[in-house]
Order: sequence, then C-alpha cells, then structure tokens
Amino acid sequence: MTATRITIDPLTRVEGHLKFETRIENGVVASARTSGMLFRGIEKALIGYDPRTALQLTQRVCGVCPYAHAEAAALALEDAMGIRPNANGQLLRNLIVGAYQVQDCLFHFYQLSALDFIDLTSVLDYRGADPGLTTMRDWVRNETRSQRIFPAAPFLPAYKGELPKDKEYFLSAVRNYLESFAVMADLHKMVALFGGKSPHPVAIEAGGVTTRPTIGNLAQYRTLLNRVERFVHSCYREDILAVAKAFPGYFKEGRGYGNFLSFPYFPDSSGKNHFFAGGATIAGKHTALDLNAISEDHTYSYYKNKAGQGLKPLGANRLEPLDWQEFQREEQRENGKYSWSRAPRYGGKVMETGAAARVVNTYHAGRNPALRKLVDRLNRDLGIGLKDYNSVLGRHLSRYITVSLLITRLKEQVEQVEPGVLGFSEKEMPRNVRGIGITEASRGALGHWVEIDNKGLIKNYEMVMPTTWNMGPRDASGQPGAVEKMLIGTRIADPANPLELARIVRSADPCVACSVH
Amino acid sequence: MTLDRRKFLQRIYQVVIAAGAAPLLSFDELLAADAKPSSAGWSRPNLVWLQGASCSGCSASFLNVEQVTILDFITYFTRLLYHPNLSAATGDQVPRLLTKVAVSNKPYILVMEGAIPVAMPHACMMADRPIGEWVKGLAAKASVCIAAGTCAASGGVAKMSGTLTGAASLDDFLRQRGIKTPVVNLPACPMHPEHLVYTLLHFIKSKGLPELDDARRPRQFFTHSVHERCPRYPAFQARDFALRIGEEGCLLELGCQGPVTYNDCIAIGYNGNTNNCIRAGHPCIGCAGELFPRTRLYHTHDDPKAETGVVLKKS
Repeated sequence: MTATRITIDPLTRVEGHLKFETRIENGVVASARTSGMLFRGIEKALIGYDPRTALQLTQRVCGVCPYAHAEAAALALEDAMGIRPNANGQLLRNLIVGAYQVQDCLFHFYQLSALDFIDLTSVLDYRGADPGLTTMRDWVRNETRSQRIFPAAPFLPAYKGELPKDKEYFLSAVRNYLESFAVMADLHKMVALFGGKSPHPVAIEAGGVTTRPTIGNLAQYRTLLNRVERFVHSCYREDILAVAKAFPGYFKEGRGYGNFLSFPYFPDSSGKNHFFAGGATIAGKHTALDLNAISEDHTYSYYKNKAGQGLKPLGANRLEPLDWQEFQREEQRENGKYSWSRAPRYGGKVMETGAAARVVNTYHAGRNPALRKLVDRLNRDLGIGLKDYNSVLGRHLSRYITVSLLITRLKEQVEQVEPGVLGFSEKEMPRNVRGIGITEASRGALGHWVEIDNKGLIKNYEMVMPTTWNMGPRDASGQPGAVEKMLIGTRIADPANPLELARIVRSADPCVACSVH
Repeated sequence: MTLDRRKFLQRIYQVVIAAGAAPLLSFDELLAADAKPSSAGWSRPNLVWLQGASCSGCSASFLNVEQVTILDFITYFTRLLYHPNLSAATGDQVPRLLTKVAVSNKPYILVMEGAIPVAMPHACMMADRPIGEWVKGLAAKASVCIAAGTCAASGGVAKMSGTLTGAASLDDFLRQRGIKTPVVNLPACPMHPEHLVYTLLHFIKSKGLPELDDARRPRQFFTHSVHERCPRYPAFQARDFALRIGEEGCLLELGCQGPVTYNDCIAIGYNGNTNNCIRAGHPCIGCAGELFPRTRLYHTHDDPKAETGVVLKKS
C-alpha cells in the first residue's frame, strides 16, 4: 500500500483563503481536512454597535454574496422589532436579492468553475468571426510563443486533466465565459437600481428598502432582466448541459453525506409563501425545519476555549481566538486544530447546504410544481435521479435550476411593484430583545441571530453561514465535515494534477470570508 | 483579421475617455503604441493581485468595469499574472508563481485588496505563511502598490473597533517595515473600478502616479466631499432636513456621513452610474472615509444616542 499526501494551499477561484489536505492510499482519498485560513472576528466586534449597522457591516463579511447578509440582518432586526415591510418593500428586496443570487451563480459557474472543465488552447484552432474568440485566439498564440514570464496568465499555469475532445463545446464555453462578465455587470446594475450600488447594496434596511420605485427604474430593471434571461436560457443552460453530458461521471463524484439543510427563501409580497422550501433531508427523508437543532462545535477550530457540547447560536461569540504561539503548537500537533471555521451540526448531523439542498428540499416538500416539473425534465434528459444531486454536477445543475426559476419569479414580481409608493417604514429600536433572520444565500442556508441590550445596542450577534456548514472541520465525535466527506473515496488519476479534488471542492462553492467572518 | 484593429482600438479608447484619462493619451498615441509598443513608451504592466483580510468585494466590483472588457484588460492593457478569483493556477502553482515574480527583476504592480492582520499574523494565511510575509516580499520589489478599497487603504471593516487581529492598511504595514515602494490608496467599499483603471492607465502612459493628496489618494477622485456634490445640497443650504427615509431634503439628521467623506461617487455613481447611495434614498455611510465603519450609521432623526452635531461640523 502506498500513501501520499496532497495539499492544496491556496485553492484559488473560490472566495478567500482556503487550504485542504488529503491523504491518498492506493490512488484513493482516505482522509481529508479543509481549512478556512482567514479570521476577522466581525461578530465579536459588532458588540456595542448600533443594531442597524449590522445591515451594512455584515454585508462586508462577503463581497460575493453581501445581499444575503443584508437580507438576513434585516429579517433579524424586523423579527426583534416585530415589523414586516409593506408589499413594495418586500418586492424590492426580492428584486435586489434575486438579481444578486443569479449573478452569483453565474460568477460561480463561469469565473470560478469553468476553467476546470475546458481547454483554453482550443481557441487556437478557431476560424470564426466572434470578436471575443478572435482576440482570445490571437492573444493566446502570441503569449504562448513569447518568452514572457508566465505566458497566458491568468489562464496558465493550470492543472492538466482529461478533457473531452469536443472543440465546439469548449469554444461555446469560452465565448460565454467572456460574455458572462457583461451579463454579471448587468445583474449588478439591477441590484444597484434599488440597492444603490453593488457589491454592498446600501438600501436594504430593517423596515424595507429605502429606494422609491419609479416607472423609470422599474422599466430599466425589466430591460436588463430580459437581456439576462436570454443569456441564461441559451448560453448558461447549454453550457451546463454540455458539461453534464461531457462529464457524466461527475454525477457520481463528490458524494457527501446526502444530508441537506435549507432555509425558506424568496417569499411573495406578503413576506410569506416562500418559493423555495426550508427543511432538512436526512437519509432521503424530508422534515420541517427546526432551528433549535443547530449547534456549533469547535473541537478542531483555532479557539482557546475547551470544546465540549456544541454551542447554540449566540453562544459561540465568547470563543477566544488562539494566539500565534498556540496556533503554531496546533499546527505541529498530530490531530491538532486545523481551521478558523467552526463545525455546525443539525441534531448532531453534518449537513450540506447550497443549491442542491435547496432544490432537493423544495422537491420533497412538494409545494412547488414549477420546480418539480423542471427537475423531472432535466432528470429524464440527463438520465439521473434526485439522489445524483449529491454530486459535483448535481450542485452545478441545481444552481442553474435556482437561476432559471428565479428569473421567472423576478419577471412576475417586477410587475407587482407599485411605482411611487415607498417600500419602507421605520420603527424605533426595541430594548432587551432577540431576533432571528434566516434566508438562502447563493451558497445556502444563512442565519443571523441578534440580541439587543437595554440601551438599544448590539449585545450579541452571530451568523451561521452556508460555507461553515459545508467547509467546517471535524467535530468532537470525529465526523468529517461535509466537503471533507465529499473528497473521501475519490480516485486521483495524477497526484501532480489533482483536478478531481479541485472540482469537488469548487462544486460546493466555498466562501471562506463568510465561513469564518 | 476578422476584428478590425482600428475598431478594436477605438473600443479600447472608450475606456481611456471614460476613465478620465483622455488628456494623458490621445487616440493617435494609442494607434502608434499598438503598432510599435516599445518606441511609443507603452508596455503592458505586469499585475499581481493579492487578497488579505478582505471579502473579495473589490474584485467583484472591478469585474463590473464597464467601458473596457475584462478580456481587453487582460490581453491589451495589462498582464494579469495572478488574481485569486480568476487565475487558473492553484495550490503549489501559486507560491511558485509569486516567488518567481518577486525574484524575476521584471517590473510589476502589486494590487492589494484587504487589510493585513499584524497582531495576529495567523489570522490570514496563504501557503503556510502569513499574508503579511507575501505582501512584504512582493511589495518591496514592486514598481508601485495599489491599495484597492477601504480595507487596504485604511483598515476598513477588517480594522473596525472591537476587532482583535490588529489589521493594518497597506501603507502603514509597509511604512512599519521600512519598505519605500510608493502606495496609491483607492478607498471606497467597494473600490470603484474606474479609479483603478485610471490609475493604471496613468501609470502605463506616464510611468508615474497621478497627483496624490496627503492620504495618497488621487486628487482627481477624492478632492470633493460627498456633501459638496450631493443632489440634496440645495436642501441643506435651505436647512430643509429629511426626518424620515423617503422624504425630500438633506439626510444629515438621519446620520449622513457625506460632509466627512471624500469620494466622487455622486459624480460618477456606481455600476456605470446606475445609482448611488443618496439617489437610493439612503444616507451616506462614509464607506470611503478613514473612520469607516463608525459604530452608528443610518439612524432615526429622534434617536437620543445619535450625534448628528459631530457630523455637521465640517472637517
């Protein structure tokens, strides 16, 4: 038996500083460790701040999915205040977060993931007239012939891996990779129309959205949405299906526990009747959401405090980070702590969050015929079942499903906004109360917990993040985290080019800035 | 060639104009530079982009750049040797690449996004080394360093009061280590893509930096306060203050930080001038200011804890 180690540090094309290590036995991953390597301590710092600052500051936890933090923080404060936005406030908030979720899914597929599935040098044989592809072709040719340091950066160097021979598919993916930048910029404009700017839209506040909708900004939103819709239904759909058909084995790779957690997401104008269902699917069985089942373990996380029982939300903020010497000791220690990320558990179980969880739970909840129809059709076309959503391609496909369905909702809801009517109402800050806000970020189930003191300031604040669920370390009982489990059992063709591992980790779309915050 | 070169260059020139760099670089100069890059004093600068204690928001904002496509940016204006969110290179390839760049004696520009944790170096690690060590090594050999966004320029959210990591801005970090490479600060949360494009174009053309103020920000963008250019400034002069979100009138009573925040977001907006915070009916939260974030941002006009008087004093 031969055992080797593969360490990938940093894993690029994810948000933030991610490291992972695997031990390979006979060409197969026997064990894995994922480590979040950035700690800022924003939760602890928020203590004593005005609660409304949380809307703006928790967004800065993540510049890729700030909208979800704004929404979760607004919901937490609204819960504490006992208010709900009016219909316009809810709709405008949906228009902001919906457009941003679509942008983020495209960003994940094209910018973060696509390079693992295409061969860029295929553009060298391009004979057509597409301006992007011809520029790219001439550039790649000049670069690879040049004596420059790192020719064709940032696209080279890259891991080499087995790729299909179909050039048409590569060319289409490269063209759409280039095109997607403009589409994402359009989606950020849609966010900015009601959010003020993007990233970090300012206008979501507890009580609604501060931007007054007008015939003008609604029309602009609609125009941009139509453009985005064309790209999603032609390009994005085709590319996802092409990858799915070119790499059918990846519906079996990257299997995790198959336990899925999601929160209710995308309500109607009343703030209820969420389009995507919350809940937990464990061993194929779907149950209603129980927020009391959530706890966070820190046995393998870089904190001083003695690990024991998992901590309930609002309990983990007392954790003290390790100092430099303690950190060094843990790095040297066999079986030492290895991540800034904590390890959330649901009734003690490791859960996967994200698009696959959202789709599987909504499917099982059985109240969304549009989603069911789309999933059934895709499953038939691709020859897969719901259990295959627990895989690399299942996760990519689920993002497309989310995007495709969200666009339809956005088209409906933009028509429901009443021009001229402010979607915001203010309420004074209550004292000695708690609030909870839950939603779905692009990467999955996101919860904010806030406690307000007797002076109306933040007494305690805690966020439980999708990437913490996915990318967290082992717990006291030794259960590997969700992505660690996905890696175990993977066969590595070439340890010098462990593309399989990178594809698996990226399929979970880690956001390290979020996971540790 | 299928894409007419002149048309291509015309498209490129749009960005020169849009970035406000037209006085630096005429279209004829651009044509000449394209024909004979070396003699025209034009060369694509190498760029290395690092992220410290950041959220990637400035990178996300940069990708929104309107007038120049990312493809043109990578293939024509610069050579993007490394970017954490775009590079195909991963794992071992990254430290190898960065080390090779630092010892290559080839000129390059370092773009730094995020702050650098100094009190807790282990709070941000890359390839088993604190990010500060990477910054130190790469900044020392760089022609110029660009601090992209408020965290890199002044600490921002990474250094908000109550944090424990001792996050430093790029300028402070380099000064403490005696590294003399000039720094350009481009604050705002997130950074305006136009600010970065302009600074790079200026450097490409003149081999130097645009005129900077005391805080090492390009004067071009940071001379005027948000308040001075605010569309609600006439209301302020008339002492007409909004008491609630949604009302007309100056937003000072709701916590607006416009008077103490220097940035051109009112003039150029965000997302290709689609909108900005004030137009969205929201008080300025001071995201380009050195004191961002304060412990209180938007508040109700009658909030007893609010200290609007402090903000009203013009700095």
